[in-house]
This record gives sequence, C-alpha cells and structure tokens, in this order.
Amino acid sequence: MNESPSEQPAAFNGSSAGVQFKAALLLLLMILLVGGSVVYLMYARGVFEATQKLVLVADDSEGVVVGIDLTFSGFPVGRVSQIELSPEGNARMIMEIPRRDAHWLRTSSIFTLERGLVGGTRLRAYSGILTDPALEDGATRTLLVGDASAEIPKLVASAKELIQNLKALTAADSSLDASLGNVKTLTDKLNGKGGALGAILGDEKHTEKLLTALDRANSLLAKVDILAAKADAQVFGPSGVMKDAQATVVQLNALLVDARASLKKVDAVLVEAQAVGANAKAATTDLDVLRVDVESSLRKVDHLINEINRKWPFKRDAELKLP
Amino acid sequence: MDRRASLSGKAFDKAGVELKRLQHLGQLARGWLVRAGRTIRFAAVVLSLVISPTTYRQDNRDAIATQVVTGLGANLLWFTVLCALVGVVLIRIVVVTALSYGLSRFALEMVVRVLVLELIPLTAAVFVALRCTLPDGLEVAEMRRRGDLQLFQGQDLEALQREVLPRVMAGVFAVLMLVAVSCLMALGLAYLNIYGFTPWGFAGYTRVVGQVFSPAVSIILVMKTLAFSLAVSVIPMASAVYDNVDTALHGRSKAARELASMVRLFSVILLFEVVSLMFNYY
Repeated sequence: MNESPSEQPAAFNGSSAGVQFKAALLLLLMILLVGGSVVYLMYARGVFEATQKLVLVADDSEGVVVGIDLTFSGFPVGRVSQIELSPEGNARMIMEIPRRDAHWLRTSSIFTLERGLVGGTRLRAYSGILTDPALEDGATRTLLVGDASAEIPKLVASAKELIQNLKALTAADSSLDASLGNVKTLTDKLNGKGGALGAILGDEKHTEKLLTALDRANSLLAKVDILAAKADAQVFGPSGVMKDAQATVVQLNALLVDARASLKKVDAVLVEAQAVGANAKAATTDLDVLRVDVESSLRKVDHLINEINRKWPFKRDAELKLP
Repeated sequence: MDRRASLSGKAFDKAGVELKRLQHLGQLARGWLVRAGRTIRFAAVVLSLVISPTTYRQDNRDAIATQVVTGLGANLLWFTVLCALVGVVLIRIVVVTALSYGLSRFALEMVVRVLVLELIPLTAAVFVALRCTLPDGLEVAEMRRRGDLQLFQGQDLEALQREVLPRVMAGVFAVLMLVAVSCLMALGLAYLNIYGFTPWGFAGYTRVVGQVFSPAVSIILVMKTLAFSLAVSVIPMASAVYDNVDTALHGRSKAARELASMVRLFSVILLFEVVSLMFNYY
C-alpha cells in the first residue's frame, strides 16, 4: 500500500491496540444492544410467562389477528396466539392467558367480540361472580359478537323505510293531506256564521232548529222554576204538609211511650207466670216421691194380706182338680 | 417517381431513428445489467472475504478497527442527537394528533411503527451513505486513479482485503449500530413522551411493543436493516472498483459519476424499503 501518511485516517495515528480496543468496545456495545432488545421483545411477547389456554369460538373471526389482547376491566389478561377453522366451520381463537391473570376468568365469565366503527376489534371478558370456580386450562367458550358496523345496513334500511313512510304521509293525495284539508274546512266553518254549531251540524237550518229548541228549553226551565217555588210553599210553607207531619210524629211518639209501658206490665205478668210454673214443677217432683211411697205401702199391704192368707186356718185350696 | 422515392426515403430515415433509439435503450439496459451483475459479484466476493480467516490477520484487523472507529466516531453522536430531536418532534405530533382525535391508545403503536420500523433504518442508511460510504468510495476511486491501488478489475484479493473490505465492514457496522442505538432511543423517548417520568406505564408499553414486534415484523426489520447496510456499503465500493473499466465513464465528469453512483444507491435503498413495506403490510 503506497498511501502517504497524510491520507491515513486519523485513527491510524493512535496505537493499533487502542483502536482495536475501541472497536471491540463498539462491537460489544452493539451485541449488548441487540441482545438486550431481543430479550426485551421476547419478554414483551410473553415468552417467559407461564400460560394456560382458552379457546374462544365465534362464527366469524374478521378483525381478529394474532397478538391482540383479551381485556378484563380494561386490563389485558391474555392474547390471541392462534386462529384456526374448526371442522364445524367456526373460527377457533386460541388464547394464551398468563397464570397470574387467570384468576380473573371464572367458569361463569362471558367473552365478547366487539367491532367498533373506529379502531380495531376488541375481545373482552366479563366475570360477574368472582367467587365461582376458576376457568380450567383448555376451556372452550363461545364468543358473543357485537358488531357496530353490521348494524349500519339495518339502520339504513330502517331509515329508508321511515323516510318512505314520511313521504307517503306528506304526499299530495295522502290521508294526512286530506285530514289537513278537512281541518281547514272545519276551521273555516268555525270562523263562519254558525260558529262551532255550524261546524258540528253542518247546515244552517239545523243550527236554527237547535237554537229554537234551546230557547224553548229555556222557557220550560223558567216554568219548572216557578213550579218548584210553588211546591216549596205547599210543602214547607206556614200551612204546608210538613207541619202536619211534625204533629203526627209527636203523637206517634206519645203512642210509642204508652206501648212501652204496656209491654213492661206484660213483662211482669210473664215473670209471675214463670214463678207459678216453677212451683208446679217442684210439686210434680214431690208427687213422684209420694207415689213411690204409696206404691211401697201398697206392696207392703199386699204382702201382709198374702201372709195372713197363708197363715190363716181357712185357707182355701186354690188348686183345681181336673177329673 | 421522385416523389415516391423521397417518401420511401423519409420512411427509411424514420425507421432508422427508431432503430437507433432502440439500440440506445438496449445499450442502456445492457449497461445497467452489467453494472448490477458486477455489484452482485462484488458483494459475493466481499461476503466471502468476510468469512475468510485471512481477512483477520493483524494488519487487516488494524485496518478494519480503524475504519470502524473512524466511521462510527464521526457519525454516532451526531446522528443520535439529530435523531433524538426529530424523533421528539414526530412523537409529539403523533401523540397530540391522536389525543385530539380520541385515538390515544393507538399513538404508541403508530410511533413505534413509523419511527422504529420505517424512518430510523432508512435515515440511518442514508446518513451513513452520505457521511461515510460514498466518500469512502470516492477515496478508493481516487486512489485507483492515482495508481496507488491496482485492483485488476477486482481480482486482487490482497488489495481488496486491505483497502476495500475494511471500509465495507465499517459501513455495515455503522448502519447496524446507528439503527440499534437510535431505535432504542426512540423507544425510550416515546415512553417518556406518552407516560412521563413514571415506571407505571411500563407494563402497558411493553405489551404494545410486544404486539407491534411480531416475529414476522421483527424478521423483516432485521432483514431490511441488513439489506440497507449492505447496499450502502457495497454499491459505492463496487462503483469505485469497477467504474473506470466502463468506456462510458470516460465521457463523464467526476461529479456526474459520483451523482450517478449516489442515485443508484438511493434507488436500491428505496427498492428495499418498498419491498419491506410490501412484506409488512400486505
């Protein structure tokens, strides 16, 4: 090599050992940086975590990619490690759940797949009862799918139907238009000569008839009023029926007092009759005793006579001798 | 008859012009293919020398160490500072924009994808090319022009090991080092910009970084960085080693030749970037 010293790089001016040391340091630094990055990325990808599997089944895995998180209360508790098609044609998403986060998932947990209008698809877990048994390793659960964008066609169809209905309502020959026309006619009549009556009855002759009927009803009411005044005078007046009725009531009261006194006397008579009855009952009891005594005495007399007859010398032979 | 003869003469002239144009295009294509073939051959030679034990003799080791230290010493600090400044501005813009649209949870992912995966490797490659490998290529070309370096069309392996290979290895190492340092710094700046000086965002941050750097994306990043580093190191050297055998270059000025080499290099870098984007997002 025939380079002049001035063309040598500056590093050549130092000792070769020093330059080699610097180069080795730089090499070491790069190895450390690259190695550290690789280890950090492996840690970030969850290579060093103990995990358990969870299989989520959905009709459609659109929007789900390997690596997206499963969140619980907004915190990631797992990630999709594999997506495959099951023999039944469903999408099977195999999740890796770190053991330290697995206790948030219970047998009663619900898993949802949400597709928003903006942003990626989200997998969420809801555990209502945290005291239920923990989700076992390799469990299979069905995903509930909530798709905002899938609702848009339905929404558009509904809006279209609504607009068509509105169009039909507001058309020139629609029912609403006819009704509004009728309302206009009605308001014209209301503002007209007959007013509301004219609008209701529809004809001026009928309106006049009704007015005449009203006048006559008014005069009839006046007569009824007078009649009522007269009836009042006859019933409640100084010589009315009410006064006689009051006197009759007073007399009826006196009659009732007399009747009450008579009833009291009847009560006393009845008490006496009751006492007589009681005495008669006692006498009847005594008669029974007397009768028993008499019957006993008679039996004794009878016995005595029989005894006398037996002992008496003239005893008759009572025996009959048949020939 | 004369008129007919003149008409047929015009048609012949027109056909002749078209033929010349086609011949010129053919020559251009041939030249491009020859240059591409030479560059690939040169890259193969350099790579075979990299794994050859004779490359690492004491004197070659000194040359390699010197080129590595010189190349990085000039670039590492400046590029890191420049990258930090531009990175902070870009991260701030992305974060504020994402916040204003209510998409803050995508800010970190976007920062990582834009800065770490795309911008920093590309910028580092261009920076090393402009500051290190293109001047090195010119230096080698100048040495050849002066007659200090006789490469005999790239067949002199001793000279290649002594003068060219250290520069190529320094270029590759500079690109890898700048990318590694700047990417890590950008990741740190993104964390500080989004979460501030607190350790409590580390779990969420790590999770997002893990999501972005899937195995495929990581492999594409590594391959792209290696491809960039090889491109910026090999293409200027290949031009310096082979260009003077092209007769076409005798008609060109030195500046035009340097510019053509630079354009060729940037075209290849752009091609690698497009290919990596296709692999990443399709």
